[in-house]
Amino acid sequence: MARLHIVIPALVHAFIKSKTEYPGAMVLGWLSQFAAYGSMYTTISLILARFGTLGGWVWPEIALLLSFHLLAYSLGASLSFVQFREMEEKVRMGTMDAILVKPISPWTYIVFSGLNIGYAGHIILAIGLMVWALSQVEVTWTIQSALMFLCYLVSAAMIVAAIMTMIGATALVWVKSNHLFSIFFGFWELARYPLNIFPLPLQILMLTFAPLAFMAYVPVAATLGKPVPLLGDWAGLASLLAGPLAVLLGTLHWRHCIRNYQGAGG
Amino acid sequence: MAIISASSVEKVFRQPKRQAGFGGAIRSLFSREFTEIRAVDGISFAIEPGEAVGYLGPNGAGKSTMIKMMTGILVPSSGTVEVLGREPHSHRITNAAEIGVVFGQRSQLWWDLPVRDSFELNRHIYDIPAPRFADNLARLTAMLDMAFYIDRPVRQLSLGQRMRAEIAMALLHDPKILFLDEPTIGLDVVAKDTVRKFLAEVNRERGTTIILTTHDLVDIEEICPRLIMVDDGKLLFDGELKHLRTALGSRRRLKLEFGTDPGPITLKTAALVTDEGAAKHFLLESEQTSILDVLTELGSGHDLKDVKLEEPDIEEVIRTFYRNKAQTGAAP
Repeated sequence: MARLHIVIPALVHAFIKSKTEYPGAMVLGWLSQFAAYGSMYTTISLILARFGTLGGWVWPEIALLLSFHLLAYSLGASLSFVQFREMEEKVRMGTMDAILVKPISPWTYIVFSGLNIGYAGHIILAIGLMVWALSQVEVTWTIQSALMFLCYLVSAAMIVAAIMTMIGATALVWVKSNHLFSIFFGFWELARYPLNIFPLPLQILMLTFAPLAFMAYVPVAATLGKPVPLLGDWAGLASLLAGPLAVLLGTLHWRHCIRNYQGAGG
Repeated sequence: MAIISASSVEKVFRQPKRQAGFGGAIRSLFSREFTEIRAVDGISFAIEPGEAVGYLGPNGAGKSTMIKMMTGILVPSSGTVEVLGREPHSHRITNAAEIGVVFGQRSQLWWDLPVRDSFELNRHIYDIPAPRFADNLARLTAMLDMAFYIDRPVRQLSLGQRMRAEIAMALLHDPKILFLDEPTIGLDVVAKDTVRKFLAEVNRERGTTIILTTHDLVDIEEICPRLIMVDDGKLLFDGELKHLRTALGSRRRLKLEFGTDPGPITLKTAALVTDEGAAKHFLLESEQTSILDVLTELGSGHDLKDVKLEEPDIEEVIRTFYRNKAQTGAAP
């Protein structure tokens, strides 16, 4: 049976080697992502410079929110987005069948045979912005609070990977599921801003069925000691639990869909 | 003991009913109706270790669905499938380690990497010990003549070269059973011949059990002594290829050539189908009828010059069977 500590590096190695067959496209992808996010953040900073605060958050706090959002997304999506966006095609073309006849968990194979190094541009930008923002905000750091911050980040990345997995898994049963990514990215856009600027129904939605408030706003607000609607003092604990809970639900959904996989015919 | 057994296996797919026109498409958004497609309908068989079995049928007969159930990809709707003593779907990973699967229409090789890299990756996935991997790689490379392209990216290979690499990859871990779904589809005559000879040798020399689905009867004639034939999800025939003709009720053809036209001839043992005057074509009424029976009934009062008995080739037998079925709506 496959030994994962050997198979996972071998899959990642094969994927990176296949990407480096087209080095120009890879570097261009990094640059374009860096430029796209860089210009968007510049726009937000200019708007904030004009109006001062957004929902009671000043620019360095918003910068921390944006960088946390991008870093959590990049970490989660590098394990999942491209891999599960291609799930429709895997089902339609029958390549999912070929994955299911390998003696390895299909999730492990799909995730690590497509581990996306294209997020390097996102990660560099997010870390740079985060380092600057952390130097500007007023937080009293202790070992415990620093560890909590890292755990929030891991939990947020788990939410992203779990939701992407669930969307991709849906294609195993419905054959088509990419429209769900459009819904995801709709809430993902909203998750860049303080939750309290949105109406109450949307706040409830983003803390429950579309839990992307836990991807950045809730953990960052908990770190900064800002009030969090509906959760109050539970914001920190909820941020820690949201990721593992999403992974549990994602695992159950994935298993259900694998068991009910029908293929696309033929 | 059977290495594969299927007992009353059914696979039912539920598909939404498509309504005609734009209005129908809008209506179906609000009231979805479903039809059940019975892709596999009560099929039972048992396959012994070392057998080579061809699984034959027209498009939509349920061949690929059955392969997918045996390889653990799909779960049967009812009945049981056992492969190497296990239920393939609930023991998918253990089952996958002991079988090899080749899909004729979907590649398992990495498109942008040299063939060797895909083989190396499989070595890790199947946890093949290095010396066994090296031996198998050398043997398969020689047998399938892959040495000159094993270090080339897959995207640069011809279909025939790619299929040889796919088959080699499926055998690197010494599987007990090799499943092949349409392995010769799209290949040219030479490539088909290479693949067929290789598979027959693997079955004969290494005792690997082979199950292959195909449209091409030559695949079956050259690789598989046993044939399982399906249609509309149902088992039509399971046995040796040579017995298929009888099972499908196909009759032998007899040609009698006379020095001069003897006029109309009516026989109990053979039915006249074409009368060309001095040459007459008959269909023998039963498998037991011999030429001697026909000649005895014909008697000696004719100027008989030549007698020719023709066995219908297997492709014709099956073609006739499906044509009759399409015309009458039932098997002959």
